[in-house]
Amino acid sequence: MDNALPTGKLSRGKVVGKALLKIGAKKTKRFVTNGDKTQNHEAIADIIFDALGELKGVSVKIAQQVALGMPFLPPAYLEKISKSFNAIPSINKALVRKIIKTELGLYPQDAFESFEMTAFAAASLGQVHLATKDGKQLAVKVQYPGIKKSIESDMSLIHFGMKRFAKGQNVDHIIGEIEERLYEEVDYVLEAKNCAFFRENIDNKNIIIPKVYPALSSEKVLTTSFLEGLNFDSYMASNPTQEEKDNYAQLIFDTFFYALYTLKHIHADPNPGNFLFLENGKLGLIDFGCVKRVEDDFLTQYNQLHLNLLEEDDDQSIIKQYVTLGMIEEQTEEEMLTFYREIIKPLDTLYKEPLVGECYDFKVNNDFSKRGFEMIFEVQQKQFHSVHKLNEQFLFINRTLLGYYALFEKMGAKIETGYVKNLMKEYR
Amino acid sequence: MKITQSAKEKTKIKILQSAVDLIIEKGFDNASLREMAKNAGVSNPTIYNYFPSKEKLLYAYIEQKHKEAIASLQEIEDFQTYTLREQLQTLIETELELYLEDREFIIQIADMVFHASGLKMGKLYETNALFIETVDEMLSIAIEAEEIAEPPFREHMPKLFWDYYIMVVAYWVKDDSEMFENTTQLLDHSLGLAEAVLHSDMLSKASDLGMFFFKTHMLNSLQKFATKKESFSKIKRKLGEVLHG
Ligand SMILES: Nc1ncnc2c1ncn2[C@@H]1O[C@H](COP(=O)(O)OP(=O)(O)OP(=O)(O)O)[C@@H](O)[C@H]1O
Repeated sequence: MDNALPTGKLSRGKVVGKALLKIGAKKTKRFVTNGDKTQNHEAIADIIFDALGELKGVSVKIAQQVALGMPFLPPAYLEKISKSFNAIPSINKALVRKIIKTELGLYPQDAFESFEMTAFAAASLGQVHLATKDGKQLAVKVQYPGIKKSIESDMSLIHFGMKRFAKGQNVDHIIGEIEERLYEEVDYVLEAKNCAFFRENIDNKNIIIPKVYPALSSEKVLTTSFLEGLNFDSYMASNPTQEEKDNYAQLIFDTFFYALYTLKHIHADPNPGNFLFLENGKLGLIDFGCVKRVEDDFLTQYNQLHLNLLEEDDDQSIIKQYVTLGMIEEQTEEEMLTFYREIIKPLDTLYKEPLVGECYDFKVNNDFSKRGFEMIFEVQQKQFHSVHKLNEQFLFINRTLLGYYALFEKMGAKIETGYVKNLMKEYR
Repeated sequence: MKITQSAKEKTKIKILQSAVDLIIEKGFDNASLREMAKNAGVSNPTIYNYFPSKEKLLYAYIEQKHKEAIASLQEIEDFQTYTLREQLQTLIETELELYLEDREFIIQIADMVFHASGLKMGKLYETNALFIETVDEMLSIAIEAEEIAEPPFREHMPKLFWDYYIMVVAYWVKDDSEMFENTTQLLDHSLGLAEAVLHSDMLSKASDLGMFFFKTHMLNSLQKFATKKESFSKIKRKLGEVLHG
């Protein structure tokens, strides 16, 4: 049966309540049996995400954001989270017709020249339909109704769940950040603005960004020009040559840093679904639901820090910069050094690894993300009493980069770092 | 002078619209047929000719909306490719869409039907012929196309669906969510459930019991709704229980 999104406070409460009850029971059991931790995490992750599966809708987005926002989460959760990407509420023809009418004021057959009532792709909060108007092919993303109002109640479940695994760490700011991000992500008007911004400002003939049709868009409907291309999996299955893959990886890598240093904006969602592989080595960039602006001051400090990291500066001077960036709290020198070496250094070593040399071959270093996961897992096992509020912009940049690196590893691609390092040096 | 059918239809629609506007402005009780006639630009005898009473006018309004909704469905090019559930859902959504501009008016009628003594629930049934016929046809086609197996109580299904429709309208009247998306969700989920039930063999296995519960729940809810204002939240809860187990 089609597992519809439960409506109303009551039924939602029931589902949430069920999940909470089960976590409680597991917790107690662990105390008693002192069983294997990994297994418990897995079981609890199962319960949470089963319940989330029932709540669906925005939960998919939440799961995604949690994965991004909580690098210290046990791998069992991350795995479960990525699985939940498939839980997309489907919108039937009656509902599509209704949503288009409500949002655009006209029924699909009147708003467009033609409109395929069956979606060609799933989006996390809805689905995407092919349409035409004035002879142009369009992609119309339609959002399931009622998602915005379910964010709040879903987030309270996440908050409850996450507090238990944060080991006394304050997670409020992360939860707040995720929530804010979610409200942004459900607003297609904002996404349309970001998409138009990138289209106007990315000046690279190999990067194709769809054109937004504002008159055919609203908060819950986003109409853009349709890009004909392969998604990541189909592209990989098409047996591309090494050179082609390297070119794509290079294009993604360089464009990310170009946007960061020149436009002061990043497309902070490294999900491979956001790339379309088009003809002649062109890359389609879609989904501007998660765009982050970076401030000049921050970027200057961030850049300096990374240049120094690449120059192998001593820990003391690196720590100072992290303090300025709000990544390390002012404490005694010794405390800061311990925190840096235990928590931050393993991470920044990982981030900078591909940047150190003139090029980096992910085919050779095909254990990059495995090492990354293990390292993050190790870090999250360590208990620190103080609450370190991490710099949000910093996290966004580095977690996006990590996402790209994981993608390059899947592609088995090689990247050259010259262009990027040049951007960094020029920014100084 | 002979008046053509279509001219007659036009006059009727004109009167209905000015009646709706006047009722929204003055309330049902204070809106007179005389004033409606004046606003519609027809003579007094004419309006009585079309609508002997204000009540008759209400029923005509509802029938008119059925007509418009069905006309709108006929404009959907590939409507026959819609599943039964999609067809039914489209029918209700389209009616609600048509009600939208007259929402204030519908709220008044709902109030009279469910709370005041004036209008009787049963009377509303007299307006549903077209609706029921349409649903019946959709159902027959679905059975014939073997989309669903012939359900038990086949002949009661369209009427049951009408009950359900009235309940959805009642919910919509009270819905204060943005763009009435709660109603849209309710509709989507409850029809999803009904679809699942129709597709499973649950009905034939536990048919009498299942249908009995379903219908009883619905009727109880409506009954309660009709007698007590505050019972609305209870209905919602009940409905929630029925739909989500
Ligand atoms: N302009 C377009 N041209 C071609 N395909 C598109 C276009 N826009 C979206 N799609 C297809 O629809 C899918 C979902 O779109 P999009 O990524 O924008 O949705 P989303 O809800 O933001 O999803 P997520 O956040 O999970 O990536 C894409 O992966 C792609 O296959």
